[in-house]
Amino acid sequence: MATIAVPRTGSAFRPAVLDWLTTVDHKKLGILYLYFTMFFFAVGGILALLVRTQLAVADSTFVSNDAYNQIFTMHASAMLFLFIIPIWAAFGNYIVPLQIGAVDMAFPRINALSFWLLPPAGILMFSGFFFGGSADAGWTAYSPLARNTGTGMDLWIIAVILLGISSTIGAANFLVTMFRMRAPGMTMFRMPVFCWNVLVTSILQLLATPVLAAALCMLYIDRNFGGSFFDPNGGGNVILWQNVFWFYSHPAVYIMILPGMGIVSEILPVFARKPLFGYKAFVFATLGIGGLGFSVWAHHMFTTGAVLKPFFGFMTFMIGVPTGVKIFNWLATLWRGSITFEPPMLFALGFVSMFLIGGINGTYSAAVPVDFAIHDTYFVVAHIHYVLFGGSVFAVFGGLYYWFPKFFGRRLNDKLGVTQFVLMIVGFNLAFFPMHLLGLDGMPRRIATYNEADWEALNMASTIGAFLIGVSMIPFLIAVVAAFMRPKDQPDDPWEGNTLEWATTSPPPVHNFDSLPEIHSERPLFDQRHGIGGHGVHPATGEGRG
Amino acid sequence: MAAHGAVQHRQGLSNGMLGFILFVASEVMFFGGLFAAYFIARADAPSWPPTELLTEEQLAAGVELHLEWVLPTIATVLLVLSSVTIQIGVMQIQRGNRTALMWWLFVSIVLGLIFLAMQMYDYAQLPFRADDTIFGTTFYTLTGFHGAHVAGGVIFMLVVLVRSAGGQFDAGNHEAVEACSFYWHFVDVVWLALFTTLYIVGPRS
Amino acid sequence: MRNAARRLTHRFVLIFSLVLLGSLLSVGAASAQFGQPKPVTEEADSLHTLYLLVTVAGFIVFALVTGALLYMVVRYRRRSDELPPQTHGNNLLEVIWTTIPIVIVLFLFVSSFVVLLDVEEDAEPEDLTVNVTGFQFSWEFVYDLADLGRGEGPGGEGTVSVIGTGSEEPLLVIPVNEPVEFKLTSNDVIHSFYVRNFLYKLDVVPGLDNSFKVTAHETGTFEAQCAELCGLDHALMRFQVQVMERPDFDAYIAGLASEQLEQARVP
Ligand code: HEA
Ligand code: HEA
Ligand code: CUA
Ligand SMILES: [Cu+2]
Repeated sequence: MATIAVPRTGSAFRPAVLDWLTTVDHKKLGILYLYFTMFFFAVGGILALLVRTQLAVADSTFVSNDAYNQIFTMHASAMLFLFIIPIWAAFGNYIVPLQIGAVDMAFPRINALSFWLLPPAGILMFSGFFFGGSADAGWTAYSPLARNTGTGMDLWIIAVILLGISSTIGAANFLVTMFRMRAPGMTMFRMPVFCWNVLVTSILQLLATPVLAAALCMLYIDRNFGGSFFDPNGGGNVILWQNVFWFYSHPAVYIMILPGMGIVSEILPVFARKPLFGYKAFVFATLGIGGLGFSVWAHHMFTTGAVLKPFFGFMTFMIGVPTGVKIFNWLATLWRGSITFEPPMLFALGFVSMFLIGGINGTYSAAVPVDFAIHDTYFVVAHIHYVLFGGSVFAVFGGLYYWFPKFFGRRLNDKLGVTQFVLMIVGFNLAFFPMHLLGLDGMPRRIATYNEADWEALNMASTIGAFLIGVSMIPFLIAVVAAFMRPKDQPDDPWEGNTLEWATTSPPPVHNFDSLPEIHSERPLFDQRHGIGGHGVHPATGEGRG
Repeated sequence: MAAHGAVQHRQGLSNGMLGFILFVASEVMFFGGLFAAYFIARADAPSWPPTELLTEEQLAAGVELHLEWVLPTIATVLLVLSSVTIQIGVMQIQRGNRTALMWWLFVSIVLGLIFLAMQMYDYAQLPFRADDTIFGTTFYTLTGFHGAHVAGGVIFMLVVLVRSAGGQFDAGNHEAVEACSFYWHFVDVVWLALFTTLYIVGPRS
Repeated sequence: MRNAARRLTHRFVLIFSLVLLGSLLSVGAASAQFGQPKPVTEEADSLHTLYLLVTVAGFIVFALVTGALLYMVVRYRRRSDELPPQTHGNNLLEVIWTTIPIVIVLFLFVSSFVVLLDVEEDAEPEDLTVNVTGFQFSWEFVYDLADLGRGEGPGGEGTVSVIGTGSEEPLLVIPVNEPVEFKLTSNDVIHSFYVRNFLYKLDVVPGLDNSFKVTAHETGTFEAQCAELCGLDHALMRFQVQVMERPDFDAYIAGLASEQLEQARVP
């Protein structure tokens, strides 16, 4: 209990700020990650609202074509690189060491470095707006287009390289932490499933991100040193960019979802008061998704005419299998459970149902001939958002409501949480379901404007839905502000949790634990609460079950 | 029971070493991406070096797509030698001989610097540049990134040298030295792959 | 507390059912083609059939899983503080729900493969060839007068071309009931040749010789546009495809030819 009491006087302000700037505590860094990423969620969301405003009606002139290309490029870049990928590091940082019973990450200083690479990257990426325009070739930066656009593109490249470095060293840190910092009794197969998902995510980051860095270096060389990587006139290959880019970016979509699946796998058992059904199957499914994830990248390139379509189509179909195993195990976790519906659970259930739709419409693209029609249309935009919003973002909010008491010692109001959920899931479906129909009807993505009157009604619906999502943030913000106006009153374990983060105070002391319960299964707190375990091994928790 | 995480002593690799190995794995993937670009370009080209792709202006300016192999071969020998010398250094510190470590580090650093100097000289006299077709682009990109890693390795060795001069490292505690030599071997292996790729299997008609 | 929880459940179920119903209705109402535009080529017919197949499979999976989820949520909401049975897993179930998706997926893959082979057949040398060039930001369609396909066309030397401008969308004409090959080239950036009613698109890639073949079986004018982000006016890179009876096509090309040869004579 050696927390150093910082005197709460006026002059304490500077030390407090300094403390945040120099901290190497995984919990504080986690919180910093959280603030940073939520900020860029708002930025990306506001850009999305600009997109939706422009597209609400046909032949719109709300923004210019030039501005439009920058807006949607930066929307996706912010959402992916500055929000969803690093926000998993926020949860991972705060929760992983607690869940495995460690005092900190393996390399606290490198951890701080990983975080502090982000703000300069964010600033660089957006500073393009002050240098004649930001990047505008889409988040996929296809060459040759991306070879020829303005300075904003160079800034974008450097920013993404910085983010890649952050992500790579962060991944190495997570891996070493989970391999080597586990408390006694915490075997690999007793690690919480959230940790397993972060582990597989980290492997993907470690091995895939450097390939993106290589691709970005090539693009930079092409742009600035007369390179010919992507210039057929100099003997280069245009499709090379797509191959290296997607070699990273397909595994990256699993980087963007797996920790979310981990969060859902923490929440469902707690609110159904059952263990996660098929723990090991779940772990192997996660590893399977990670492995298969490296063999499907060319499914983004079926219409280039330059890839082996049957192979990549087949592998893409196969990835539905381990994902299905996860979905079915979640269902079986609910089966004969005793379920309550606090906000974390609502968001987790929202995840399962919405991600399911995103997975199924991804399967449309796996059927190569079907993809010929829907590729680069709004059908794919619908897919993107069903997996990334209906999946990842729902998991983010589930995780926030679930762990907020642990992070801040305060609980977010349940009623406001339910209100947010209702507004969000309705707005979300209104915004993104119509995109399926637009895409099937042939509306291409990335167009600044359209002249087809038939598309107006659906686009307007989508725009209304998008603003409804925006409105759904209001109850959330109120809940956050209200929570911070109250004193810290949360007990160690407000939800009857299963995992070690609930075995310490909310928020935890600097050194995390004053004492750890004995660990005989993947649910040490459950065992403790029900007096199971003791010094023996409980029959139901031994190794070797499915 | 107090918190256990940090006070555990496990067998085998230390955290630092494991982290370092993971870092090197990511470096391997980085070079993997660059090598892939090279092989795709080579497979696409009408011949390699792709002389056909040179424009009139480039020809008029005296651009020639061909590599000089004598100097790089000598450089290769020196680099391999430096791997041996740093390994001797590691063996010395394992026996607790810090002075010998410092000497062998010094030799390795000098060899690394000579390698870099030869690379610079090679760059200066080659009859093509990075903007002369994909051949020039891939050549300078691959060797350039490797050169940067050599420079990084030299700095790493310098740091270790300074630290040993400051009295650090002994028979029981020399992890940074091992990490350093590990990195240097990695840089060396990348070069061998690069040399083989560019100079030996490279040309094709 | 119990009551509040139950109210939450009910609300959740209600919303869920609404969303489900809404999705089903909107898809059903979308059009007779279940969302896709009317297929106008032989290839598009099989592409559309495959689409329907995937849609059926997708809806079955969706309905079963969502149904099961709704069932769990309603049936197993908390009614007492008793701890439910702690089932940890079941290997047989894992095997079953790994195998069933594998079977579905294999079925879908084989179907896709068959359709893929069907629609990607190579063109014959005697088929009409249209050389398509995409450029920032319009299209050029070039016909070789010596190679106008299987009809009795005007024939002759030279080429005729239709070229769009920023303000005028080009019109691509092809004859009905005849295989037509499109050869795609680009000298600037990547574009994508996308005719909605073909249910097909193929990228126009600098440095790659992409081509594909269709046999239109319906006359009419169809909307089309570039489907790959290519810069500033990507959104305006539209064109139209008109499928005509063979005599109309021949007359159209002949008209273009005399027009353009006249222009060529004027220095
Ligand atoms: C979180 C991110 C995420 C996730 C998890 C996924 C998951 C999947 N994605 Fe997605 N994808 C993206 C993000 C993501 N994707 C993005 C951002 C793009 C666009 C990039 C761009 O161009 O800008 C994209 C694009 C994209 C394409 C390219 C489309 C195109 O441009 O033409 C394809 C093609 O195959 C694809 C397929 C899939 C598949 C098969 C899955 C699978 O993993 C889904 C598996 C899940 C299920 C199938 C549901 C559950 C399973 C069951 C209930 C079992 C039973 C099911 C069956 C038998 C089918 N995705
Ligand atoms: C995690 C990823 C993510 C998320 C969350 C979103 C969220 C949203 N996206 Fe986006 N999107 C992508 C990833 C994502 N998107 C990607 C990868 C692409 C492809 C880009 C490309 O083609 O290159 C894309 C493309 C894309 C398009 C297609 C553009 C085009 O092709 O031309 C559209 C169009 O409607 C769209 C809309 C939206 C909307 C309305 C939301 C909404 O859900 C947003 C909701 C959020 C808010 C409304 C923010 C609310 C917050 C506040 C209001 C806070 C107030 C402020 C403070 C307190 C500071 N997105
Ligand atoms: Cu051409 Cu888009
Ligand atoms: Cu993918």
